[in-house]
Amino acid sequence: MRVGKGSGKNGAAIIKSRGKASLARPPGLFFIASLVFLVCAGSARGLDVPPLKGYVNDYANLMSRETRARLEQELKDFERSDSTQVVILTVESLEGDVLESFSIKVAETWKIGQKGKDNGVILLAVKKERKTRIEVGRGLEGRLTDLTAGRIVQLVINPQFKRGDFDAGFLSGIRAVIDATRGEFKADKVKRASSTRGIVSSFMPLIVFGAVCLLILGRISRPLGAGAGLIGFPLFGSMLGLPLVAIIFLGFLGLSLGIFLPLFFGGPFGGAGGYRHGVWGAGDGFSNGGFDDGGFGGSGGDFGGGGASGDW
Amino acid sequence: MKRYLILGIIAVVMMMFTGCGYNTIQQNEEVVKAAWGDVEATYQRRNDLIPNLVETVKAYAKHEQETLQAVTEARAKVGTVQVSKDMIGSPQAMAQFQQAQSTMGGALSRLLLVAERYPDLKANQNFRDLQNQLEGTENRINVARTRYNQTVQNFNTSIRTFPNNLTNSLILKLQPKEVYKADPGADKAPKVKF
Repeated sequence: MRVGKGSGKNGAAIIKSRGKASLARPPGLFFIASLVFLVCAGSARGLDVPPLKGYVNDYANLMSRETRARLEQELKDFERSDSTQVVILTVESLEGDVLESFSIKVAETWKIGQKGKDNGVILLAVKKERKTRIEVGRGLEGRLTDLTAGRIVQLVINPQFKRGDFDAGFLSGIRAVIDATRGEFKADKVKRASSTRGIVSSFMPLIVFGAVCLLILGRISRPLGAGAGLIGFPLFGSMLGLPLVAIIFLGFLGLSLGIFLPLFFGGPFGGAGGYRHGVWGAGDGFSNGGFDDGGFGGSGGDFGGGGASGDW
Repeated sequence: MKRYLILGIIAVVMMMFTGCGYNTIQQNEEVVKAAWGDVEATYQRRNDLIPNLVETVKAYAKHEQETLQAVTEARAKVGTVQVSKDMIGSPQAMAQFQQAQSTMGGALSRLLLVAERYPDLKANQNFRDLQNQLEGTENRINVARTRYNQTVQNFNTSIRTFPNNLTNSLILKLQPKEVYKADPGADKAPKVKF
């Protein structure tokens, strides 16, 4: 509401001032300036979620270098054995935001935990407001209940934070979280393959549909089919929000499909089996392209607001 | 030539179904229903904590019969409100549900306020545990409600924008869903810090 009103006023001001200054300055400048103003006004609400750097995101510099390295290693080992992701975030201040709503915002942005298992935990500490929260993913709510999380916050972490011993607080807190969640999930080796297969099968109708279009266009004129493939496939990809590598790959896929599909079926339509084979082959190539960049990131874990908070 | 025609028709039909939003609307409705299920589940969770809480408070604060009575009654009332997946399309049923839950929330925060006056109760481990759970549950309720409202907004937009509105009015005939309105004073979890 307030933003709308403000922009209206802003608009009136632009029109007024334009009368005087229209000779001196291009009117477009005002428009851009007001746009920038609006964008800034929109993003200034609440605290932005900082980028996920690793297991330990110590933006408030509460930990020593050794502790950071040690926790990083411990959490990495824990994910390797149990697939459960535990991540630490410290921030300087909430800047007026409510702890719980900031925490769930972080959880929704980072998506810590494996998709389907929802086994992520975020330990959040705020320096200025002196608050701690453990945010628990849905899959771990049975083990790390609100009660357990509350006890870890109030009895393990906060007393040590109160003394100013942040290193010990984080180390023992994280150890308590790990102890509480150990054994709930096991890392499985075939996870990656099955998830890419899921992606491919969900894109399959689109690829088949695109291939049919290309076939028809390519029969009309080969350059038309190739061009449509080169532009259309990446366009689809970018609309679906795929990474750049996949989009470039889709471009090549589209180009080659546009050229070769009509060649394969240049004769009379008879080879339904051949047709299917060709398309599935392309699909497999797509899946091997993969999105695995090897870096650290959340894997789609879901959070439902479980966990506990406390002051120190 | 005939094959072209068939392929063309298949392509056009597929385009029509993705283009007119038929699938999108259906998917969005399912998402709304799932989100509503979460809202109900979190409220149920709160309800399940109450008998235990009442018992614990009763042991220490015998003189607060009135407050305890109010909580018990509110809980019983919540139990009588019919909840179903269909109610998210009906304003009256939603209003009734929200009314009952907000009475419950009010009675509960009064009970916790009363507990402030009893140091022995505050020191009781069982009571503190219950408080932890209650805080967590209130937070879950908030999260579930916010998410439900987002999905409702998404669904309502998807049946009102062109060309989905045509699809909806001609084929699906779905009603817009009701958002969960914040009740006065209940938009933040009751603070029970010591």
